[in-house]
Amino acid sequence: MLTSIKENHLTNKGQELGMMYFRVAIILFGAQLVMGLIAAIQFLAPGFLFELFDFSVARMVHINALVVWMLYAMIGATYMMLTDETGHEGVAIGLGKLGFWLLTAAVTVVVLVYIIVQVGPGTEASLWLIHEGREYIEAPRWADIGIVVVVLIFYFNVFATYMKGEKTGIMTVMVANLLALAGLYMAGMFYTDNISMDQFWWWWVIHLWVEATWEVFVGTLAAYALIKIIGAKREIVEMWLWIEVLMLFGSGILGMGHHYFWIGTPEYWWEIGALFSALEPVPLIAMFVHVLYDWGKEQGIAEGRGETASVITNGPAMAWIVTNAFGNFLGAGIWGFFHTLPQVNIYTHGTQFTAAHGHLSFFGAYATILIGMMYYGLQRAYGVQRMKLTFKSKMGIFLTTFGVMGMTIALTIAGYEQVIVERGEMGATWNAFFVAQNLPWYVQAQMWRAIMGVVTLLGFIYLAWDLLTIGKVSKEAEA
Amino acid sequence: MIEPLTDVVPSFFAMLNQGPLTLTIALHTVIILPMFWIYRSEKKRLESQE
Amino acid sequence: MANKNLSVWTSIPFWRRSAAWVTGFASILLIWLTFDTLGQITMGTDDDLKNGVTKRVPAATVINYKIGYEMSTKRGHEVPTIGEKEPFFGKEWSADDAADLLHLGKLTSQTKNCMNCHTLLGNGAYYAPDLTKAWIDPAWSKTGPMMAMTGKSTKEEAIAEFLQHPSTYPTHARMMPELGITADEAKGLVAFLKHMSSIDTNGFPRNFGKEEGSTNAH
Repeated sequence: MLTSIKENHLTNKGQELGMMYFRVAIILFGAQLVMGLIAAIQFLAPGFLFELFDFSVARMVHINALVVWMLYAMIGATYMMLTDETGHEGVAIGLGKLGFWLLTAAVTVVVLVYIIVQVGPGTEASLWLIHEGREYIEAPRWADIGIVVVVLIFYFNVFATYMKGEKTGIMTVMVANLLALAGLYMAGMFYTDNISMDQFWWWWVIHLWVEATWEVFVGTLAAYALIKIIGAKREIVEMWLWIEVLMLFGSGILGMGHHYFWIGTPEYWWEIGALFSALEPVPLIAMFVHVLYDWGKEQGIAEGRGETASVITNGPAMAWIVTNAFGNFLGAGIWGFFHTLPQVNIYTHGTQFTAAHGHLSFFGAYATILIGMMYYGLQRAYGVQRMKLTFKSKMGIFLTTFGVMGMTIALTIAGYEQVIVERGEMGATWNAFFVAQNLPWYVQAQMWRAIMGVVTLLGFIYLAWDLLTIGKVSKEAEA
Repeated sequence: MIEPLTDVVPSFFAMLNQGPLTLTIALHTVIILPMFWIYRSEKKRLESQE
Repeated sequence: MANKNLSVWTSIPFWRRSAAWVTGFASILLIWLTFDTLGQITMGTDDDLKNGVTKRVPAATVINYKIGYEMSTKRGHEVPTIGEKEPFFGKEWSADDAADLLHLGKLTSQTKNCMNCHTLLGNGAYYAPDLTKAWIDPAWSKTGPMMAMTGKSTKEEAIAEFLQHPSTYPTHARMMPELGITADEAKGLVAFLKHMSSIDTNGFPRNFGKEEGSTNAH
């Protein structure tokens, strides 16, 4: 990965920029896992780093590194496909590079402030300079503005290139979806004394990102990747893409209601949230079927022609994309549906159930396909014809997936116990909370979560090592 | 059949909320019905191309 | 001619138009619903409180009243109740002073990063108890353990004392860290917690522990 740009196989500046974004993304992914591990240990040994590096700090960096590495990888993946899709070399990519350095400098400063300063006095200045204390979008206001500027540069690159080049269906969805994705960030950039109002708009960013625009983004990536990796037909892929957009936005936009059950918002959100969000898994099933169907179809056609080789030209990328198809449905679909109905959610809201769903869905729906795109980027950067899974690729994908799945099951068990004892039996008080946290089911589940966290980190080490070496190794194997 | 309003404010959406799933089915219906029209106009377009 | 595709179901324009319609219309509905909801969750006024007008999110001066959480047969779940007046930190707060105090409290709740250990209205992290109804938690009542531990005579003073020196008053091996919360910020945070407990959360949390005379285990 380090020498990916020097190899000179990339045909345009946009793809070079994409590789630059991928590198930072993978570093932040590592940081996310280390922070998660610190937080997991604190659940078991509360004295660990107490009043030095508290849970709140570890958790803030954990979830912020998550959001930022995914945005980095998403931007990287967009630059990666820009020229291929539009047939144009890209407009003002030099400006985009400047944006990359600005964003990376800003992210570095923000993370250092999180880690060193941690908390500030109760003044507006703290919101501007330290953090905003709002889960997932903690970035201080100065960084918010910086992010908007850089995203505008990025969007200009994409939009101007789209306007000058060929307007494929995939690129049309991409351009429209990115505009919504970027615009929604603004809904999280203000302060109010009213906590209900605060959380109402906060969900506009969080929900409409992860359950609407990010999902559509994944759909466009999968469409592009299937064309490139298994040679799927564009007409079929694009038709699927429009069906996915229809179903994802049709269920996801009003599915937002499931966050408005208990934050002070009216009762009518119960019904809206319940049925619309209950339909959210449907497009995820469609995406799952779509990936496997196209793969089987292309392989069948190739065999019909008398070819014996696999249609897959990038083994690791395809492996991660298939994991995405399954993980998206399981993590976002099944684990989301578990607690989306208000009758269930009144007990599960704010328990480890949510944490279980969060872990599997962010990994299954987003991490997987973005890692797949990184492998695809490496294949292009090193000019490899057929990239095959190495031992390290296999260990990377197996251990991270197994680890995240293990954490999810552990947290689900912890959540189950919490729901029964803290919520059902004891009425959700301060005392009820701690009684539930002390029961063996909960403690053991947290133990397993920490162990599975270590497995995930091991998987990440294999993954990072593989990303650093697979380009050269594959190139030499072909030469 | 029609149940009394229970919510704090009797808004338009609260009034559609008259029992099990009335509101959400109403919203799903208005979203899906125009697709029949889209389907028919698309069929007409395809036939005229023939 | 034999290959001519006549099925609407495999026509890309059909799906594209349908996707555009569904996305656009769902967005319009969401914006409409948003306006309706914003009207309902805007903070009430001091006059609303004086005249007994029920608001989902009452004015900051709600800190001058006793707050409860009772089963409503009409609503079918528990709702916050606003009772008679009670002093808050020994006095009655004017509309402006109450608003300023709530402002300081909400601001402090963000700058001290409460949400990355606790949940507020059920949203946040799951390392520490939910704070939605913390104000009416039995632990802080006259008979609860916290009053004696902090040596204070009122609930608000006990909570404010705890917030300033949390690790001096541990309630569990998992302690709240010292966050440098000043006396004023602590007062503001208590006002913020009391205000939050008066928000109508449609019955969340369900069956919340009662201060006295309840069948809930403590």
